[in-house]
Amino acid sequence: MITRLPLLLGFSVVMASLGGCVTATVQEVRESSTGMETGDSIVVLGRRGRPQTGETELDFVSCISENLNKGDAKMQVVSEQDFMDAMFPWFEPRTAPAKSGDLPELMALPALADRFEELGLRYLVWVQGSTKRTDSAGTLTCSVAPTGGGCFGFLTWEQDSSYEASIWDVRTGRVAGKVSSDAAGTSYMPALIVPVPIIARVRSSACDSMTDRLKTFIWDTG
Amino acid sequence: MVQLTGIWGSRAVHMLNNHWLVARLAAVAAVGALAGCGGASVAVPTSFPVPLVQRLPVSMGVHLSDEVRTFVHQEKLKNAGDWSINLGGAQEPMFNNLASGMFATSRFVRDPQDPGGDVDGVLVPSIAEVQFSTPTQTRSDYFEVWIRYHFELLGNDGQVIADWDLTAYGKANQRNYGGLQGNQPALQAAALAACRDAMAFFTIQFRGVPALRDWLAAMGAQA
Repeated sequence: MITRLPLLLGFSVVMASLGGCVTATVQEVRESSTGMETGDSIVVLGRRGRPQTGETELDFVSCISENLNKGDAKMQVVSEQDFMDAMFPWFEPRTAPAKSGDLPELMALPALADRFEELGLRYLVWVQGSTKRTDSAGTLTCSVAPTGGGCFGFLTWEQDSSYEASIWDVRTGRVAGKVSSDAAGTSYMPALIVPVPIIARVRSSACDSMTDRLKTFIWDTG
Repeated sequence: MVQLTGIWGSRAVHMLNNHWLVARLAAVAAVGALAGCGGASVAVPTSFPVPLVQRLPVSMGVHLSDEVRTFVHQEKLKNAGDWSINLGGAQEPMFNNLASGMFATSRFVRDPQDPGGDVDGVLVPSIAEVQFSTPTQTRSDYFEVWIRYHFELLGNDGQVIADWDLTAYGKANQRNYGGLQGNQPALQAAALAACRDAMAFFTIQFRGVPALRDWLAAMGAQA
């Protein structure tokens, strides 16, 4: 079996790299025209609720930020943590504006308006939503012994991502529009000695499709 | 799930002296422990932002007692291990940044009853209570931390001008942190969020406490 192990591992890696199927849809609603000028920047923020409400995963927010900052139509992005520190305490969970209509009041504070200007901040993108496991089935058992070990069984699970980004125009203090991204996919893990994860990259797909649409939305090239 | 199955069971017993097997079993046990079964010991990080507000034109002294500077919340949870949150180490940088952002000048004072003539008042915080909850307890993905501070503001003659409570709250989703890192990162993030919330709440609340409004008005500061 030892001589076959590299073969099995190689097979697992190849199968895992194929990935499971993911279907993604993205939609937008535009309320006003957008655009970026030299020196303008954008920040992507996850909605942080108070006790016991769900919140957007940190790595989804950072995925959007990183993707906006690279590739075609890339833009200057301020990281969420840098922004929250620079604007402290006005974007903490307790104090963050709940609606775009609260922005003008915040901007009336001279120190805050100056800081927005320093950062060249043009858009705030609030992201809400999460990825959830909606269904799972199967069993998988792994055994370990001195002579070796192995796993046997089959697992499958479905994940569903649903996110919405609300784009606030800092200059007008109004919502410029919304972009929503939904993705669903099924992952599989058959195991015959070596488990072969065939993972559907649901959240990653939702991130990619949302980022692409945000770029066209903000540059207004759609 | 890792198990020694029936076919291999007898051989496994004979091989328990085998260092390789012991090492493998130890590794499995270590991963299991790290994956979140048994408590955590964390210290709140010491990096805090400075509040972005119009500074009040007062010179504020801040007194941190030894009790506050060394505060550690320890709790033993039934079937869930020992838990420890070290808040004390973060209090000096936290109150340093808070006071330097909110007041025209600020410095730490050793004796709140005799702060020196250069300060208008002395802020004396104490940690009255700390509570936390784990995802297992709340059947959620979140670690949550509550900190109840008690504040006293003393005049530069040592007399109490005002005292008030402030309850801060922080939470962190354990799914944001890899399972192999155990409970520590999420608990630490929740405790840090609670400290930031205390700073945020203090910043917006300070001008609203009635006795403080009067004191600020007497100092010539617009509340």
